[in-house]
Amino acid sequence: MLQLKAVVAGYGGGSVLQGVDLECAERTITCVVGPNGAGKSTVLRVISGLLAPTQGEIRLDGEPIGGRAPDEILRRGIAQVPQSHALFPAMSVQENVLMGGYLIRKDRRLLRERLDQVEQRLPIVADRARDHAGNLSGGQRRMVEIARCLMLDPRLILLDEPSLGLDPRGLAGVAEVIHELNQAGTTVLLVEQNVRLGLGIATHGVVMEGGRVRLTGTAAAVRDNPEIASLYLGGSPTKAGDSPWTNASRPPSHTGGPGSPPTA
Amino acid sequence: MAHLVQAIALGLLIGGVYALMASGLTLIFGVMQIINVAQGAFLVLVAMVTWWLWNRTGIDPIVASLVTTPMMFGLGWLTFRLLISRIRGSSPSMSVLLTFGLALVIEGVLNLTAGNKFKSATPAYFEESFRVASISFPKAQVFGFVAAVGVLGVLYYVLNRTWTGRAIRAATQNPAGAALVGVSAAGTAALAFAIGSATAGVGGSILSVLYPFFPASHYEWISRLLGIVVLGGLGSLPGAVAGAVILGLAETLTATYGSLGWSTLVFYLVIMAVLLVRPQGLFGARLREDAA
Ligand SMILES: Nc1ncnc2c1ncn2[C@@H]1O[C@H](COP(=O)(O)OP(=O)(O)O)[C@@H](O)[C@H]1O
Ligand SMILES: [Mg+2]
Repeated sequence: MLQLKAVVAGYGGGSVLQGVDLECAERTITCVVGPNGAGKSTVLRVISGLLAPTQGEIRLDGEPIGGRAPDEILRRGIAQVPQSHALFPAMSVQENVLMGGYLIRKDRRLLRERLDQVEQRLPIVADRARDHAGNLSGGQRRMVEIARCLMLDPRLILLDEPSLGLDPRGLAGVAEVIHELNQAGTTVLLVEQNVRLGLGIATHGVVMEGGRVRLTGTAAAVRDNPEIASLYLGGSPTKAGDSPWTNASRPPSHTGGPGSPPTA
Repeated sequence: MAHLVQAIALGLLIGGVYALMASGLTLIFGVMQIINVAQGAFLVLVAMVTWWLWNRTGIDPIVASLVTTPMMFGLGWLTFRLLISRIRGSSPSMSVLLTFGLALVIEGVLNLTAGNKFKSATPAYFEESFRVASISFPKAQVFGFVAAVGVLGVLYYVLNRTWTGRAIRAATQNPAGAALVGVSAAGTAALAFAIGSATAGVGGSILSVLYPFFPASHYEWISRLLGIVVLGGLGSLPGAVAGAVILGLAETLTATYGSLGWSTLVFYLVIMAVLLVRPQGLFGARLREDAA
């Protein structure tokens, strides 16, 4: 579905990405891990159009999309939840979520329909509708950010460090949403510092270092790679079941459950 | 006591007009972190056009804003497309230089075409007043106030109840976040600049009745407007309204109890006092650079 080939990009002072190759297949969850400053967020930014690549190719279903404006990328079904500061702090939660539907603003019925769906999937959108987004806790903010990006019913979601600043309950909630979205057919490209968590929920893993991809494979293979294990997981390889992410997504709970409809 | 009430009434009327004039400046700053130093020249340009229309056709100066507002919307849009868009992304001082240059060009053109003389539109009601008890409300001030508050109301509606306004507010609060939901930065900036300039359409037409003006008056106006928006907090519309009302009251109260000559000084003393306590202004948000 998504393909990056030898992508080079930077912020004006030298290249941060030095030839990145990456692929996401339909309906997979790919998790990018790597040390701080490896360029993980930058990869998501070149895909979503916030940053133009200077070299290389980005293709969606074979069609080149590198260097297009963010609204064009959105229209093609790719939505990004950035690492931090994604919301409009002085707008209400509902207004923030509605802004996610900016591109479908002319179609009021569709907008209303999507809002209803998003409210069902993420109850916080209705519960805190009138509150300013700036007054929410970190975990609540994450949920609203995800809700906002669902308004366009994206095919591919780019999530930048969704675990950042979340308590265990917040973590479980986010993990469950990711799992559900994926079950409903959405492809997910995820960046995580928390390697154990990230690779726990993912189907595929990508290890980045110094602006390059060091290793790719199934999540299990990356997790069990002895070098990765010693570098990031602090010792012996872990079993899939150890991760709170995979556990969290199993029992049906307050955030929806088996009966809740997909956003599609 | 009657003096006090009279001064407060006048101060509020003037404050409403100042609020409209400052709203454009703060709106533009909020969206693109550009201080449009030419906003004062826009006001004087419109005052001149209004005076000319009134002089030629007898049209009421405040009603003439129905002509000058679309004119300024267009001029603002062109200014953005032809000038401002070329310096997007460079340092803020570039935009100050550029818009200051624009102000000088407007001043020069006005000097050549209209001459370097004080003008003032004086419609029939110019020296008349409404009287309530012992308080008098000069008609020109009242009409100006009503027009200004009306336009501010429309601006408030557009910003809060339309998608155009939501896009502008989104881009003000979080430019990267706005881009991620598909709001085009350049398109929003052009609109905000055009709307901000259009407020000078109504503001300048009102100015032509309330204050005598000549081409170089724009220096005085831009310093007033800057004082207002800095006091209120750059980028904040409620802040601009608060700053404007404080300036209006400072002027009339000082003129009543001291002398007119002191009124500007008093206003700047108020600004300094406020900024000592709240460097970001009354309603201003701290920039991220400040917090870091
Ligand atoms: N807006 C920016 N301007 C300049 N340099 C940046 C910017 N964002 C990130 N960088 C630099 O790019 C490199 C990679 O950053 P990033 O992609 O955020 O890393 P990661 O998400 O893997 O921690 C870092 O060296 C960082 O300093
Ligand atoms: Mg990052």
